[in-house]
Amino acid sequence: MNIVGVDIGGTFTDLVGCIDGKIVTAKCSTTPADPTRGVADTLREAQCDLPQLSEVLHGSTIAINTVLERKGAHTALITTRGFRDVYAIGRGNRIEAFNLWFHRPKPLVERRLTFEVTERVNAAGEAIVPLVLSEVEAIAKEIKDQKIEAVAVCLLHSYAFPDHERAIGEMLRRLNPGLFVTLSHEILREFREYERTSTTVLNAFVGPRVSNYLGTLDSYLRGENFGGKLHLMRSNGGVMSLDQAKAQPVSMMESGPVAGMIGAGRLAQHLGLEKCIGFDMGGTTAKSSLITNGRPAIEEGYVIGDHASGQPMQLPVVDIVEVGNGGGSIAWVDGTGGLHVGPRSAGADPGPACYGKGSMDPVVTDADLVLGRINGDRFLGGNMSLDKAAAERAVDQTVGKPLGLGTKEAALGIATIADNNMSLSVRAVSVNKGVDPRDTAMIAFGGAGPLHAIAIAREIFIPRVVIPKLPGTFSALGMLMASWRQDFVRTLVGRLDALDTTLVERVFKELAEDGKAQMQRDGIGNDIADFRFYADLRYVGQEHALPIPITSPTMLTGDQSRVRELFNVEHDLRYGQSALEEHLEVVNLRLVLTAARSDTIAEAWLTQPWTPTDTTEETSRDVIFDNPEKPLSTRILWRPALPAGFTFTGPAVIEEPNSTILIHPGDKVTVTDAGHLIVDLAGKEA
Amino acid sequence: MTKNVDAHPITVEVVRNSIVAYADEMGNALCKAAYNMMIYEVRDFCCGLIDTKGRMISQNRGGLPIFLADLGVAVEDGIKRWGLDGFKPGDIMIMNHEVCGQHLNNVVIYAPCFVDGELVGFAANRAHWVDIGGMRIGFGSSLTTEIFAEGLQLRSLKIYEEGKRNETLWQIIHDNVRFPDASLGDLRAQVASCQLGARRYGELIKRYGRATVEACIERIWDQADRAVRNVIEKIPDGIYEAESALDNDGRSLDQPIRIKVTVEIKGSTMGVDFSEMNPQTHSPLNSGKSGGIAAARVAFKAITSPDLDVNEGCFRALDVKIPEGTIVSAKPGTAIGLWSIALPTTIDTILKALAPALPNMIPAAHKGDMGGCSFYGFKPDGTRFLLLNIFGGGWGGRPSEDGEDASVSVCQGDVRNSPVELQEIRYPIMVDEHALRDDSGGPGKFRGGLGVRITYRTLVPCKVTINCERTRVPPWGLAGGGNGAHNAAIIKPTEGPERIVFKGTEIPLDAGDRVTFLTAGGGGYGDPRDRTRDSTSNDVAQGFVSAEKASEFYGWTKTVAPKVRSA
Repeated sequence: MNIVGVDIGGTFTDLVGCIDGKIVTAKCSTTPADPTRGVADTLREAQCDLPQLSEVLHGSTIAINTVLERKGAHTALITTRGFRDVYAIGRGNRIEAFNLWFHRPKPLVERRLTFEVTERVNAAGEAIVPLVLSEVEAIAKEIKDQKIEAVAVCLLHSYAFPDHERAIGEMLRRLNPGLFVTLSHEILREFREYERTSTTVLNAFVGPRVSNYLGTLDSYLRGENFGGKLHLMRSNGGVMSLDQAKAQPVSMMESGPVAGMIGAGRLAQHLGLEKCIGFDMGGTTAKSSLITNGRPAIEEGYVIGDHASGQPMQLPVVDIVEVGNGGGSIAWVDGTGGLHVGPRSAGADPGPACYGKGSMDPVVTDADLVLGRINGDRFLGGNMSLDKAAAERAVDQTVGKPLGLGTKEAALGIATIADNNMSLSVRAVSVNKGVDPRDTAMIAFGGAGPLHAIAIAREIFIPRVVIPKLPGTFSALGMLMASWRQDFVRTLVGRLDALDTTLVERVFKELAEDGKAQMQRDGIGNDIADFRFYADLRYVGQEHALPIPITSPTMLTGDQSRVRELFNVEHDLRYGQSALEEHLEVVNLRLVLTAARSDTIAEAWLTQPWTPTDTTEETSRDVIFDNPEKPLSTRILWRPALPAGFTFTGPAVIEEPNSTILIHPGDKVTVTDAGHLIVDLAGKEA
Repeated sequence: MTKNVDAHPITVEVVRNSIVAYADEMGNALCKAAYNMMIYEVRDFCCGLIDTKGRMISQNRGGLPIFLADLGVAVEDGIKRWGLDGFKPGDIMIMNHEVCGQHLNNVVIYAPCFVDGELVGFAANRAHWVDIGGMRIGFGSSLTTEIFAEGLQLRSLKIYEEGKRNETLWQIIHDNVRFPDASLGDLRAQVASCQLGARRYGELIKRYGRATVEACIERIWDQADRAVRNVIEKIPDGIYEAESALDNDGRSLDQPIRIKVTVEIKGSTMGVDFSEMNPQTHSPLNSGKSGGIAAARVAFKAITSPDLDVNEGCFRALDVKIPEGTIVSAKPGTAIGLWSIALPTTIDTILKALAPALPNMIPAAHKGDMGGCSFYGFKPDGTRFLLLNIFGGGWGGRPSEDGEDASVSVCQGDVRNSPVELQEIRYPIMVDEHALRDDSGGPGKFRGGLGVRITYRTLVPCKVTINCERTRVPPWGLAGGGNGAHNAAIIKPTEGPERIVFKGTEIPLDAGDRVTFLTAGGGGYGDPRDRTRDSTSNDVAQGFVSAEKASEFYGWTKTVAPKVRSA
């Protein structure tokens, strides 16, 4: 079985594959205008023969970038008459309570492109006002005239009665072939109209761009005679089929960052780390996630963008905090002489000044090069040589001269500020949640992660940093461990002692049928499918509900003692109390359908004994750590040549094909049996 | 005593973030397990840690802004009554007495935190119960004239004694409130939240030692105080005044209520003087002293430290002068059911006073009321229902950008309106429209935000309480901007003419009657004639401003593009 995972980031495209039982890797520049090219480049570089592959897994930041840059489709919204402003009004809340200059989320659809149709469904799911199809026809025409590319349809109570949305969808698709149509009940069959509208609009907004991209990628692969399956990483930490991704691109929102955290979770399990922080620094951003007992935290939904003004997305997602700092983040000086790094990134093109493509914007990588921390001749496995003089010119001209600093001093300033910014994201998933970083370890990866991780860990007192094997392409490796996963939900509200048995059975049956249909579409066999049903339950009168695992509908409709017990225990665990005598109410029924990978190639590789693959000898060069005037003569080690059990103390630079690890003076490094590096930080005098 | 312990900077950071994280965790436990929408959607609660002197160590983020470091008042009362040695592990206190200064629905629960037998502080929360008994239900009633008609008062009582529930007290509460399941469910959630907070704070003290933690807290307060003073020092010294008015007290409808404030900036301190506020009224439109302090604190915080976490140190530089007997400092025994109604206007007025001193910072006035509605009746199955909701409105235009639309008042932060689908699942009503209120934003170079228009249709006979404010003094403009449209409600019976209502308690409705709430728009900022043509054209294209109003206020005319005929 030959599989590859390809991860497209803002700057680099990474590949990790298992070919004939061996791990192969590649790292190439991302081509923003034609991301497929980066995929093709990595496949070529790794010498992957597409006809021989049984599966390609893929993650990409295309969906989230489309939202953050607000560069999605020209989108319209169709709602129930009387409710076109639900999306603009939102929940009316002001997260920044004391900020007189607050901003609430700005809709992705203009009001003039929000259309109302006459129809009404009540809370019981009855159509009390029939849909007026002639209005839909007129809207379809208007949409055509306005050259709208995507339409979101979200009607009141459509989670209970989706027929009106379906009818609108059919007519729009019939009259405007090529229009990207998203119906809310297809994305999220759950009540709360604003959050459902926002999620539906997000899907429509990113839809055309993402599905075009996926189509192009698929055509390329098929054109090269790839006959296997193409799977996409999704925000919930699982993977999905190409067709599913084209219809539900919103679930690719965190497609890029999650895979690395899945991989970090497996590594944490292997190393027996109860609490750790996955830290992933690429070219454009740095991401952190708290991993407990090998599992990254999952949230039921989140906002995309700024916490106070971002767009709500109500689908399960791995909890990741991101800051706009990466190797490609541009350093700049403001009008008052303040030095900043990011969030603007040089990306792959023109890239850092040291790429020699003429950019005069110094980025973090330029600073690292000036400081001697990275090796200009070994960048990207030696495939690209870096122009140190160009880096020095950019640092000097943009930062050094305006601030009256020497070139090296300015470079150190850039690196220090970037580290400081990134430590905030690590702080957000640890200290801010009451987790003392001194009780955790950091698993650092991403092309630039191992270069900066140790300074960040030191800043917030994380005592131990783990640098896995293949840190530069670790996210792509994580993909090879992810299960296929699809979440389904249905709102069904009723007291547990007064549930309509037929209705409950019907909803369970429909959920199972939806799941099976999805399996069939994606070619998932019954033998590997894992159906987990849940009921969101609460005490009558409460609003928030807890998901309780349900093994048979009779747990709800027959003897309910088991489900009551499970709920009371869970309620007590989460909120420190339970009310044994109170009635329970069901709110939603859920199905989490997963199919584990049939192979464990990648996991086995993660833990298998390490033997050096190369014999390159140690060298040395001057590297600047804390003092720009006094570089330290530093050992330069070649990671593929370091044997298991090898230990040494910093300062040192460990180079490997797709990453560089900076070990500060006094830090202790050990190579584990499986070849991962454990760095124990030298204590800072209190 | 704690000053001579040197706090390691990283420990200070851990303590700083931990104490707020614990308060947030308490808030989450309360909110997620709560039984009434005033807690789980409106977030009409606050949680925090209090030291043994009644000072606020930390407070959760995202609760109601007007609950600013005021849990201490309740805890202090308990300390006075029981003495610090009167608390035992396992005790849980309950407190809603009028000395808290807020309506009796706001019930404070707190738990002492012990470490190795030593009392080190308290974990406390306050939450709005859906009912506390008395003659009124829901919110917005103007009927009461003294506190004793407003419900049960519980003053620093032990609802749990050393872990054992006080069944007598529990039963008294159960038998005197309209929705005992909801109120006691919320009480359970509050108790658990306090126990959680006390446990977490205890863990922190155990790990670092009491002296170290308290030294860190002092450091955090000092830092907050320094940051605040740095901002005040940049404001020109002087005495700044402003006046506005509320419509009436809900009983004497032609009698406006004076809101007058004097603000003094002197060096690094700010004084707010409420001496000239309207005397307390004969209706429940009053608050205790803590109402006035809350209003001053919200305005103060918005100006000096909007992004700092709330703690005792944030307010050291604020001096509030507030004689007893005004509508924000009522005497004992006074009805205070509408305690919060005057606060948004009071805050707006403080900001208005400071506008000349902070010309690039203060927006025009916002919608100015708390924006709630309540429907009360019986479902077809005979059970009682009470529907409460909170509406946003327009915020004032700002010195360089338009005001936000449909946002909750300055007294409400992360307070959410109730989803229409949720309301229709739970209550015998339908919502016919939920929309932005076009043409409601005050004209200005930077336009005021739009209010909201929401129409309820009842499916059963029931009662509605309406409480619109600021119809006489609509949200004002600044720097030449015009006023926003004021709040109003329209009742449209199935038969007979519709009528506009500003205030009314328990107005009977028949099945099928409609009630439309129109919330105010924000005031405009700057001369409307300076507004760019593109902005107005866009407003017209989107329907935020009608072509007529655009022409009236902005001199806007539709330019008809010459038609290009294709050959």
